[in-house]
Amino acid sequence: MNNFQSLRLFIPELIILSTILVAIIADLFYSKEKSYKVGYWVLTGLLLAMVVLWLTDKTEVTTLFLNSIALDPFSRIFKFIFILATLFVIIMSMRASELQKVRTGEYFVLLAVVVLGMFLMASSIDLIMVYISIEVVSIASFILAGYLKTEVRSNEASLKYVIYGAFSSGIMLYGLSLLFGLTGTTKLFEISEAIARLNGEGNLTLIIATIFIMAGFGYKISAVPFHFWTPDVYEGAPTPITAYLSVAPKAAGFALLIRFFNSLFGTGAVFEPGTWQSLEGIPWQQVIAVVAAITMALGNLVAIQQSNIKRLLAYSSIAHAGYILMGIPVLSQDGIHAMIFYIIVYLFMQLGAFFVAILISNKFGTEEIAKYSGIGFKSPLLGVLMALFMFSLTGIPPTAGFIGKFYLFAALINGGSQFYWLAIWGVLNSVVSLYYYMRIVKVMFFEGQSELELYLPSAVPTTLLMVFGIPTLLFGVYWSPIADWVQNSLIFFVVRM
Amino acid sequence: MYTNFGTVFIFVIIGIILVAFPLLLQRILAPSRKTPDKLTTYECGEDAVGGAWIQFNIRFYVVALIFIIFDVEVILLFPWAVVYKELGLFAFVEMMIFLAILSVGLIYIWRKGDLDWVKYSVPYGRGRYKKLKIVPKQVPAVVAEIGDRGSTIVDVTTS
Repeated sequence: MNNFQSLRLFIPELIILSTILVAIIADLFYSKEKSYKVGYWVLTGLLLAMVVLWLTDKTEVTTLFLNSIALDPFSRIFKFIFILATLFVIIMSMRASELQKVRTGEYFVLLAVVVLGMFLMASSIDLIMVYISIEVVSIASFILAGYLKTEVRSNEASLKYVIYGAFSSGIMLYGLSLLFGLTGTTKLFEISEAIARLNGEGNLTLIIATIFIMAGFGYKISAVPFHFWTPDVYEGAPTPITAYLSVAPKAAGFALLIRFFNSLFGTGAVFEPGTWQSLEGIPWQQVIAVVAAITMALGNLVAIQQSNIKRLLAYSSIAHAGYILMGIPVLSQDGIHAMIFYIIVYLFMQLGAFFVAILISNKFGTEEIAKYSGIGFKSPLLGVLMALFMFSLTGIPPTAGFIGKFYLFAALINGGSQFYWLAIWGVLNSVVSLYYYMRIVKVMFFEGQSELELYLPSAVPTTLLMVFGIPTLLFGVYWSPIADWVQNSLIFFVVRM
Repeated sequence: MYTNFGTVFIFVIIGIILVAFPLLLQRILAPSRKTPDKLTTYECGEDAVGGAWIQFNIRFYVVALIFIIFDVEVILLFPWAVVYKELGLFAFVEMMIFLAILSVGLIYIWRKGDLDWVKYSVPYGRGRYKKLKIVPKQVPAVVAEIGDRGSTIVDVTTS
């Protein structure tokens, strides 16, 4: 479709774009104390975009803007994930005390910019679009991570993020250029055909290019060995941003990863066994399986030693990236299904855990787990919900986390005996993670004096807590609507069959 | 297909030779009479004084950023102007939208006071520049060099 015809199907993105522009102008007319109101503008714009997205055709599969963006159910479900996560984070940000001191107008605008970038990330099928969308997300995230200008920790987070980001996107860009040099086109599906025509010629270049591109994706989803930025950035950034970075851009990274390798080395349709044959010489499935195994092991083992809740959740998010990555090596539809399902579940439990941490930090002024003692009695609501999110992150029934993990392991087991070891490894890791998640619960309920104070958050935070808490429980017992939705979304834009 | 990179390789080698050979030639042939003036670092005709690791005024970076935005705009406008007649109304509307988006950026920096070099009369005396105050000319040699007269503005939030 040409540019003009595409606009009709690009309305959600256009709404977000206009929201950004309007919100920037609106910010100029608010004083510092009132600048949080820009958040409402952005909130309204994103809600509108979500409604329009909901009204779009669920089954439409086409390409926009001269084959640089794909419109398909796969990108649609991810767009919902991004917009939902952003709406939650905007409300969380309005409640976070650390952001009360600074001017937050640009903060909300930048969040909207990240959403736009992630929308493009989930749907790009052109190397240039891939790179530009990643950069839009990254650059806005750099600023958001360093938003507390007067705090050294925040500056450090931003600077480390920039340096790692520049380095890994440089490496990825080199990989992309090798791919372009090898095939002479930037469209993913044309590259796929060109690779098939190469017949193994230039295989070494292809392998190098793939590894380099993996570095860029690995950085976005913080998989080992590209994870080093994660703990420092997560600790230094404002807490709502930490929550956001650990969910939304990570989901976007996975969306891009799935689409990229699916359309490049697969048949173009959802993964089928026996794909990736165009890459001889290296057992790719095993390589990604090992990366997933190391990622979850490192995340879990280092999380045990953390004393700061943000750092703990940072390492646990590395571990969860490892779990989600388990869906790729089996190269099956089940695997992708399990990954998307887990990302949806992870959104609720991770954001929920962070929101409880924010409320505790607002009220009790601490991020140290040791000082959480007795909070289970001082504020039963926060205590119980934190326990729920911790159970869910561990994967204990009847929470949503259990169902998510179950789908992942089931996909691995169904994928044949060669990945039984990974499934067992994943279960063992869940046991390790039980220790540090339960330590928080133990400190909250079994340490410190247990006099009742009964701190109840006000109406809006309580509602938001329920919005996180209820799905975490509900999807643990009644998950088929979500599973069906994900199942129906596994339709990719395909050229070659 | 990828064997075409061989041509590039040969091109690179010839490129290196073309630079290295004249340099070598002049090293052998040319007379060498060194004077202190000749040996100083070339700095656009200025005397090279002090190290390069001095503190720059942060406002230079802001100006550089603003410059880049409008530089890119001009780069896009030139090819657009060349093919404008063939593209017609659609291209006109498209470019106007692009310019509108950029002008939002201009309004933003204008309102935030980033277009003023000396911020005596910032209409935007609230917010970011609320704590600016005028102090008698003193310390930072760098600021003095820039050619500011009589007094200098110090941001008390950072100093």
